[in-house]
Amino acid sequence: MKKVTILIKGMHCASCAANIEKSLSKVKGLKNIRVAFLMKKGYADCDDTVTAEDIKIAVKKTGYEATEVAFA
Amino acid sequence: MNHEHDHTEPPEDQEIQEWKKKLLWAWVCTIPIALLMFSMRFLSLTLIPESTATLLFLLIGFPVLYLIGFSTLRGGLQGFVHLYFTMDSLIALGTVIAYLTGIFSFFGFMQDYSGVAAMIMTIFITGKYIEAQARGKATQEIRKLLELGAKQARVIRDKQEFMIPISAIRLGDIFLVKPGEKIPTDGIVIKGASAVDESMVTGESLPVEKTIKNSVIGATINQDGILYMKATKVGNDTFLSHIIHLVEEAQGTKIPIQKLADTITNIFVPAILFLALFSAIGWYFFTGNISTSLGVAVAVLVIACPCSLGLAVPISLMVGSGMGAKAGILIRKGEAIQTMKSIQTIVFDKTGTITKGKPEVTDIYRLIPEKKLLTLAAALEHLSEHPIGHAIVQKAQLSHYPAVHHFMIHRGRGLAGTINKQKILIGNATLFQEEHISLTSVRSIITQYQQEGKTTMIIAVNKKIYGVIAIADAIKEDSAEAIRILNDQGYHTVMLTGDNAVTAHAIARRVGITTVFANVLPEEKIRTIEKLQKKDMVAFIGDGINDAPALKQSNVGIAIGSGTDIAIEAGDIVLARSSLMDVVYAIYLSKATFRKIQQNLFWAFAYNIIAIPLAVSGILHPVIAETAMAFSSITVVTNANLLRRTNIFKKR
Repeated sequence: MKKVTILIKGMHCASCAANIEKSLSKVKGLKNIRVAFLMKKGYADCDDTVTAEDIKIAVKKTGYEATEVAFA
Repeated sequence: MNHEHDHTEPPEDQEIQEWKKKLLWAWVCTIPIALLMFSMRFLSLTLIPESTATLLFLLIGFPVLYLIGFSTLRGGLQGFVHLYFTMDSLIALGTVIAYLTGIFSFFGFMQDYSGVAAMIMTIFITGKYIEAQARGKATQEIRKLLELGAKQARVIRDKQEFMIPISAIRLGDIFLVKPGEKIPTDGIVIKGASAVDESMVTGESLPVEKTIKNSVIGATINQDGILYMKATKVGNDTFLSHIIHLVEEAQGTKIPIQKLADTITNIFVPAILFLALFSAIGWYFFTGNISTSLGVAVAVLVIACPCSLGLAVPISLMVGSGMGAKAGILIRKGEAIQTMKSIQTIVFDKTGTITKGKPEVTDIYRLIPEKKLLTLAAALEHLSEHPIGHAIVQKAQLSHYPAVHHFMIHRGRGLAGTINKQKILIGNATLFQEEHISLTSVRSIITQYQQEGKTTMIIAVNKKIYGVIAIADAIKEDSAEAIRILNDQGYHTVMLTGDNAVTAHAIARRVGITTVFANVLPEEKIRTIEKLQKKDMVAFIGDGINDAPALKQSNVGIAIGSGTDIAIEAGDIVLARSSLMDVVYAIYLSKATFRKIQQNLFWAFAYNIIAIPLAVSGILHPVIAETAMAFSSITVVTNANLLRRTNIFKKR
């Protein structure tokens, strides 16, 4: 299990965070997803199959932009 | 220091600036609309014909909606394309419908709401501006934490000083830190001595003296001396980076109480869209008046506020954890705030938690001057590696030691040697029995020290007893006070230790703990906590290195440490200082933060439960509805900021 931190641009209210969480939860291999509207960041656990591109696409689907995806 | 100034503005400030610009222009356009509407609707003045007024509303309202409100409209209407709705979707739909009524009013009989569209957008922007400001305030402590690190470092390479940016420093670099400058990164002092202000990282208000071999924390401030230091940790491995990461990540953790609010936030916007549609249909069905029906729909769209619901918990957590971080109390899991309320039993580890964790000389019984006794004892002990001996050497503080001849270690019993032809013996009772030296003269004092849980070292010169030194792991200065406060508040305090029963009970008595579990092996600590958990919710306080399993097993694990020696991954709450008073403050802070969370959830729910039916029933004018909506999120954020006014840390 790796940890991933996502920097998200464009969130302006709490329902934005909820939308992004919902969209990310459809990405296979991502677990324990938490999007913090106040920090403009998302956190999740993930396995090796998840790529930064998968995450960026899922965020984009909701109308926001993942500017940085960092695995640790 | 000017060279440490950061030129990039934090995102919150940019957001506030953006809203402010929009706000000014929006009001410039909206004030004439408002005046005109007011004179026509309420004073029934006919300054200009109705159709001219509508044309004016549409013309002036256009830039408000489609230029100033562009990002809101675009974001909101996009929601209808990919079916991820946000609050902007409601505002966008509400204002666009209102604006269109103006155009339709030219063709058929329909009341013109186009002036209302601009007013709604302007009030929405105003609300967002005030909210962003309040949010900026709520995040200030955490933002300060992010900006805390040094920006530049004075590195010494090839015997020359260079100023380099902090990102360019490497492990093992040697730095020079002048008075008033920030320590660039975590490291150890290799030359010099100074007092260092660590308050920004650990919450410790008194400066800490640093000299050779002491470790220093990056971002703390060197006060009065010059320090040469070597970097032992850089970049993401530093203590400050760990703290920042911990505090940031905590903002994403969920608290059980917010589950309902989150569920509602998730389905809120689509639900309101349906509700608005049904209200419009219903009103048209009963009144046959399309204008009334659209007015109600707009009011329903703009009054619903998922924001206050969604913000209620995270904004309170943010203010609470920010206040904590500033004081060295790091909330790692939001859930701990809620669980803390139900805790009844607080279990303390002994060594390093209640006590300082390293042996110190506590008492000296002497038949010769203390200075002389300590000199003799330290002269021998500094030759041994034993921790007890180290305590005596520390206490004596000699700059040079008298020469010792015929030095001998009696393993597990003591030391012997000759100084100035006098035969010195230092050790425990066994050693003295073996040497046939009578302990009768000091028997009672030895028994007394042992009952107090102390280790005794007897010193004899030429077989004549000169004194007894008692050594113990001293209790931290404020352990007794902290435990007294917790006892007074009705908590059941418990000590859990691997140490022997005599020492454990002696310490427990002195700090006011009545329940003691002694001789508990590390792996048994979990089972003891499990047993206690059958009756009560249990908090465990211990260091994160040896007690990690116990911290995990307990309902709330509080890891305690000093400076960089904390295992930051253990524990739901991490205390940067080693004082037990911070346990008391952590409890106060958790409870105060949780109260704010409850209040905020109450307001957010109450607001939506009252306001939405009012809008559906047509009682609220859309402009009033939008104003109420703006107020609801401002209330929640402002209320969270009020947490700062509570005197949680009043004794510090």
